[in-house]
Amino acid sequence: MSVFKRHHIAVHGSGPDEMMFAHGFGCDQNMWRYVEPAFRQSFETVLFDHVGAGRSDLSAYDPAKYSNLQGYAEDVVAIGRGLGFRKGVFVGHSVSAMIGVLASKVAPELFDRLVLVGPSPRYIDSDGYVGGFSEPQILELLEFLDSNHMGWSQAMAPIIMGNPDRPELGDELTNSFCRTDPEIAKHFARVTFLSDNRDDLDGIAARVLILQCSDDVIAPRAVGEYVRDRIPGSRFVVMDATGHCPNLSAPEQTISAIRDFV
Amino acid sequence: MSGMEDLEELFENAPCGYISAGVDRRIIRANRTLGDWLGCEPGELVGRRVPDLLTTAGKIYFETHFAPLLRMQGFFYEVALDFVRADGTLLPVLVNASERRDEDGGLRFVRLTVFNATDRRRYERELLEARRAADLANTELRTLNRTLESRVEEAVESRLKLEEALRQAQKLEAIGQLTGGVAHDFNNLLTVILGGLEIASKHEAGQPETPQVQRVRRAIAMATQGAERAATLTARLLAFARRQPLAPQPVDASKLVLGLGDLLQRTLGETIAIETVSGAGLWLAHADPSELENALVNLAVNARDAMPGGGRLTIETSNAYLDENYLARVPEPVPPGQYVLLSVSDSGIGMDTATLARVFEPFFTTKEPGKGTGLGLSQVYGFVRQSNGHIRIYSERGLGTTVKIYLPRLPAGSPVLVSSRLEQVQDAAGGTETILLVEDHDDLRSYSGAALRDLGYAVLEAPDGPTALELVSSQPDVALLFTDIVLPGGLNGRELAASARQLRPDLKVLFTTGYSRNAVVHNGRLDPGVHLLPKPFFPAQLAAKVRQVLDI
Repeated sequence: MSVFKRHHIAVHGSGPDEMMFAHGFGCDQNMWRYVEPAFRQSFETVLFDHVGAGRSDLSAYDPAKYSNLQGYAEDVVAIGRGLGFRKGVFVGHSVSAMIGVLASKVAPELFDRLVLVGPSPRYIDSDGYVGGFSEPQILELLEFLDSNHMGWSQAMAPIIMGNPDRPELGDELTNSFCRTDPEIAKHFARVTFLSDNRDDLDGIAARVLILQCSDDVIAPRAVGEYVRDRIPGSRFVVMDATGHCPNLSAPEQTISAIRDFV
Repeated sequence: MSGMEDLEELFENAPCGYISAGVDRRIIRANRTLGDWLGCEPGELVGRRVPDLLTTAGKIYFETHFAPLLRMQGFFYEVALDFVRADGTLLPVLVNASERRDEDGGLRFVRLTVFNATDRRRYERELLEARRAADLANTELRTLNRTLESRVEEAVESRLKLEEALRQAQKLEAIGQLTGGVAHDFNNLLTVILGGLEIASKHEAGQPETPQVQRVRRAIAMATQGAERAATLTARLLAFARRQPLAPQPVDASKLVLGLGDLLQRTLGETIAIETVSGAGLWLAHADPSELENALVNLAVNARDAMPGGGRLTIETSNAYLDENYLARVPEPVPPGQYVLLSVSDSGIGMDTATLARVFEPFFTTKEPGKGTGLGLSQVYGFVRQSNGHIRIYSERGLGTTVKIYLPRLPAGSPVLVSSRLEQVQDAAGGTETILLVEDHDDLRSYSGAALRDLGYAVLEAPDGPTALELVSSQPDVALLFTDIVLPGGLNGRELAASARQLRPDLKVLFTTGYSRNAVVHNGRLDPGVHLLPKPFFPAQLAAKVRQVLDI
């Protein structure tokens, strides 16, 4: 199974400079639909789905490999190498920010610029560290993940649509925007929210841009500042956006912040 | 009511919760229904972010999955979430969200519709639970089904085996009854025949040696031989029928086997090696030693015939315990407990299953006609059963045979008899005492009477118990009561003896029988102190026994 098919890779644009976009926990490469096209003029842009999301090959999901973020980082390296990345740009959202950091340490030749959108090296508060979630809260999350429920699989599974406001979507199976396998998502959630990659923030060779949303529940400001402080020389940009996905809620701000950086 | 009031009323008291939220997810307005469900005033919800009303998992999934979906798709339908009420409890809901845009496409607000999903959530949970239980039951059922067939098969097979074994045991029992009856009758007749022949022989002894006399003598000898053989035959039949009288004693099986060594070697010949293995600390068995010796000789003969080209015979003695588990599969009633085990193994040709099934039947033999009577094993079987023991044969064609005899262990504290050789019959002295002879069979009575008189005894005769009893009371010098056990007239030999002893306490008693089913002989065993002369008997045996008893 080639890297291309496994990750449903889409390549656009052209140019000697390469830019890879990595979606985070939740949704798929569609997250970048408002941001990525803006860079096609100057970059060869690469979009992909993590295994378990979008149109990736679900059969490639190996619980052992993906039991920590290193497994995902290996995939990024494989994609980068497969596409011949050299000193390219990596744009990672949410947990993919840390995945990119790990990948850049494994294969430093791939990226010389890292854009971390809403990053967090650890989600659970600990001594002197604000992660944004207390341990009981994360336990509550884990309990929920363990419980058997029909939960959101309804919304995340294809449903027949008939939205009069968006006729262009037509008969296409919805949702085509945010597909994710609920079971794999559970494991990914577990891996993400129990991760602790604070020490991996040291020794990054590439230049780093941190994009922080002003009102982000998942990666609060204190976390973004921690990352900035841990990476000497990093650029820290606060955006006027609520929620965790500025690439969706404030695409223009995101585009200009990245453009300024690269 | 004005139109506006009507709509107001509709909005506030809708059957679902309504939220109008801004771009920043902050609640602009919420309806009364939602406020009631969450246990607060709708006004309190204004300004709060929608995700803040959710559980941790809800918040996370909302920000990472549903908000993006709403942003990209413009809506999401029926997402199952849990709202957190003012009192901290959870309210399961289904949420629809829709972006409301103005003519320019700018986002005006987000409409969220909230449905109370308490029931639905419960149904879902129950459904999942039921599904899981059904799957489990299904798997179990499938497993059960798979094994059911084989388990039924097993049960049926073991049942059939048990029934077959029982049938065999019953068959042997029936044959036993038949042969016992026949043999008993024969014994009486044989006694008469032999007696008559002996008298004739004595008569001829005094004749001059003419060819005629010689011819007569030969004829008598042949007839005697024939009758003796017949007597042996009936004895063996009786043994099989478990009707032979046994005199069980304490027996050291190892010593008994060792004592038989010479006889066995002679029986088996030079081509067969004999090995005896004596178990350490061997218990004493409770069995008739001479019959046990007979049984072992029988087995040795069978073994010899199974090893025409030579081989090895191994006799082992050891202690054994037969438990309920093992005995449950044995059709004959055998009490569990301690037994002495004698194993006789040969390296002969062995037997197939069909032969093995019939091996204890009298007259069943695998040998050619004229070679073997087919009574050997049936005798052994009868002896072992009558001794309250258990016998089991293991055999396979080409692999040899092992016969295992289990004899009951002697209860502790009894004297030991080393071995007993087949009794030598010696010339016995006669006597002059008065003997009361009780026998209902006329010919036998006259024969016995004559035999006793020949020995010098005074003989009184009675055909039944009451007559005998009269004679006992009227004749003071009766020294010995010699009676058959089975008598007509309402008083059997044992009862007669008991009554006679009441009249004459020092009266000696000698029983005889060809048919030992009686109170004196409990299950083929003699009460201690009881003397028995089995039929048929030679005059010499009669003389010896009578003398023995009188001399006590």
